[in-house]
Amino acid sequence: MDEYALDIPVEPPRELKSLFIPIPPDYVEETYKSDDFLVLVGPQHPGSGHMRLIVRVRGDIIQEVIPDPGYVHRSMEKLAENRLYIQNIPLVERPAIMDAPNLNLGYVRTIEEALDMEVPERAKYIRTMLAELGRVGTHLYDAAILAVFIGHTTGFMYPFGIRELICEAFVRLTGARFTSSFIIPGGVRRDVDESTLKWIYNMTFAMERRLKSFERIFIKNPTVIARLQDVGVLSRDEAVKYGVVGPFLRASGVEYDVRKVEPYEVYEELVWDMPVSDAGDGYARFLVRVNEVGQSLSIIRQCIQEMPEGRVISDQIADRGDDIRGSFYDSLSDIVLPPGEYTTLTEGARGTIIFSIVSDGESNVPYRVRIVTPGWLYLRGFMESLKGERLADLQAIYGSFGYFPPEADR
Amino acid sequence: MFDVINYIYGIFRSNMMDIPLIAPIVDYLMKIPLINILVALILWKPFFAVIIMPGLAVLTLYLLYIVWYERKLTARIQWRVGPIEVARPIRGAIQALADGIRYFFQEAIVHREAHRPYYVQLPILAFIPVLLPIMFIPAGSAVGIYTPYSIQLIVAFIALIPITIVAIGWASNSRFAYIGSVREAFMYFAYEIPFIIAVISMIFLYGSGDAYVAVEKQSAIPGVLLNPIAFVVYIIAMLMATSRLPFEIPEADQEIAFGPFVEYSGILFGLVMVLAYEKLYIMALLFTILFLGGWSGIYCPLLGDLNGPLWLFIKTIIVISVLVIVRSIYARYRLDQALRIGWTSMLALSIAALVVGILGVWLL
Repeated sequence: MDEYALDIPVEPPRELKSLFIPIPPDYVEETYKSDDFLVLVGPQHPGSGHMRLIVRVRGDIIQEVIPDPGYVHRSMEKLAENRLYIQNIPLVERPAIMDAPNLNLGYVRTIEEALDMEVPERAKYIRTMLAELGRVGTHLYDAAILAVFIGHTTGFMYPFGIRELICEAFVRLTGARFTSSFIIPGGVRRDVDESTLKWIYNMTFAMERRLKSFERIFIKNPTVIARLQDVGVLSRDEAVKYGVVGPFLRASGVEYDVRKVEPYEVYEELVWDMPVSDAGDGYARFLVRVNEVGQSLSIIRQCIQEMPEGRVISDQIADRGDDIRGSFYDSLSDIVLPPGEYTTLTEGARGTIIFSIVSDGESNVPYRVRIVTPGWLYLRGFMESLKGERLADLQAIYGSFGYFPPEADR
Repeated sequence: MFDVINYIYGIFRSNMMDIPLIAPIVDYLMKIPLINILVALILWKPFFAVIIMPGLAVLTLYLLYIVWYERKLTARIQWRVGPIEVARPIRGAIQALADGIRYFFQEAIVHREAHRPYYVQLPILAFIPVLLPIMFIPAGSAVGIYTPYSIQLIVAFIALIPITIVAIGWASNSRFAYIGSVREAFMYFAYEIPFIIAVISMIFLYGSGDAYVAVEKQSAIPGVLLNPIAFVVYIIAMLMATSRLPFEIPEADQEIAFGPFVEYSGILFGLVMVLAYEKLYIMALLFTILFLGGWSGIYCPLLGDLNGPLWLFIKTIIVISVLVIVRSIYARYRLDQALRIGWTSMLALSIAALVVGILGVWLL
């Protein structure tokens, strides 16, 4: 189709001057001179989350998207420098509420690596189970947000209803619905009894039955497929180039999962597959996560079946018995890491979580804590995949990435 | 003066609804001077059709019902309870009324960029094309204005509604309202042509644009069996025209935050929000007349003339109650996908319906 240039002088709207937007004024001028249009989506918009997307559109086609994140920045890294190592545990699991066990695990594993701490087998199984529960919860949460972004309210309510089972499992295991701070250096806070494990084992089957009805109404819905297929395609090379992580990298055909590549906890001993897709579009990104939910439920069941008896806290920490309760602060408050920098990789629900702690070897607070969350890592890929799509696809691609601003902003 | 009143009374008196069920009360009231004029006015057939049934009074009742019913039904499907706190004993049935009262007392903000006169006027002006078709919709013997072109007139008024919505978006003068207006205009062309062709096929089939003829021709077989293709096209067009969910594109709240209505608040928002529901009501009335045998139904002698309006209303409510279920089943299509559906499959189907209509003339 031919384009007809209109020679009409266009002035950038007044409010673009008064709003603080992180782009140079020349860019705004140039956009309006070249027949484009800037649409500010967010931060107060039902389809933006806690961030602003500066969308440059020509007609209905997105030319470029400039993200303006940071609206929920809580300066987590700076706060962490003024607290004891164990006081940081409730802090670092705040970025993504449903994914708290994975963030918690990443931070604790960094400390354990620095202190060269052995974790008892039973604690490892409990930690793996918690991490997988968090992963299922996050994937359900993201599926719900994706559903509501493309206008499917039933697809929004079902996963949230199913997620209640995960929350109930967390309550029974740890006493809190999500941010439980259950994983501590050297193990977990307390042992898990047989009846709770049995409940969680049965819960995984109940959840699979409920996921069937979700599949019927949402995953295989023709309108959903029409909205997500061939939308926001990231090829394998692009995904690697822009540093996309986690299920979104696997959806582009790269077989990379920290749990397989550098196994931690008990992932090595369990049998599970890594769902991979070659399509790289929105629907593939969604399906990879749907399949991961099935794998995670299988991992949870294996954890419960193969869980050995024994201590749940390392004897380096609780040397007076096998229970940390009652002596938690006495045992853990005086941790001092040896000088150096310690980094671990953890596979969170949305991708690789990097925790890096720098210690000066003298103080009982970290010198520097670096947290790189998956949201921040795949933001670039997310923005690149929007180019050339229609404005209505912005929310579909957003949902397919499950981008979670609090997680990215930390 | 007295003569004039008597003359008007005579007009009312000559053309009254005959309802045996309330005849004793009416007879008693007719003996009281002045009150009898009022009673005669209410029961005067044109007035009854336009103001009471299937006109404004039941339209209000329908609005209160459908908003509540839609939320309740969606909630049932989604493992929820739905509105319940307002009037617990009747399961939150007056939730819509409570919302309406809230809208009424809320501040209606007019933002600085808006074109003020149009911005405030248009939600009210939009009611003209929405409510005028009621004048021409007959219900049994009760009809506001009788015309042999009633179906064409109703379609013409329905076609006017999107223009007011586009104007609303234009007067709002905001980014998302502008995008919403453009989307509304696109959708308007996508559904309007198949919709009109489907109606024309039915007019061909019945040989007249007169609703009475249409209902009479359906006395043996309802229109849905006479021309099922037009039936399908009409339903899809109805979903598109009233922004029901697979085609809720102009007001997509996650994408463009209610599109043309993004800037409205208070009672002005309350007015523009019910526009789509009223449009749905009008289109469902026409749908009932064209495809479901209109006001014909089991005749109850006690109700007399009320039979027609009542059957029409009941059928319409059933049609709408079935239609609202799509909201909880489908996701939203993209604009280009909806346009493709409108301009290819729906247009083709509507032309097939037209062929069926032309061939059906010989069968009837």
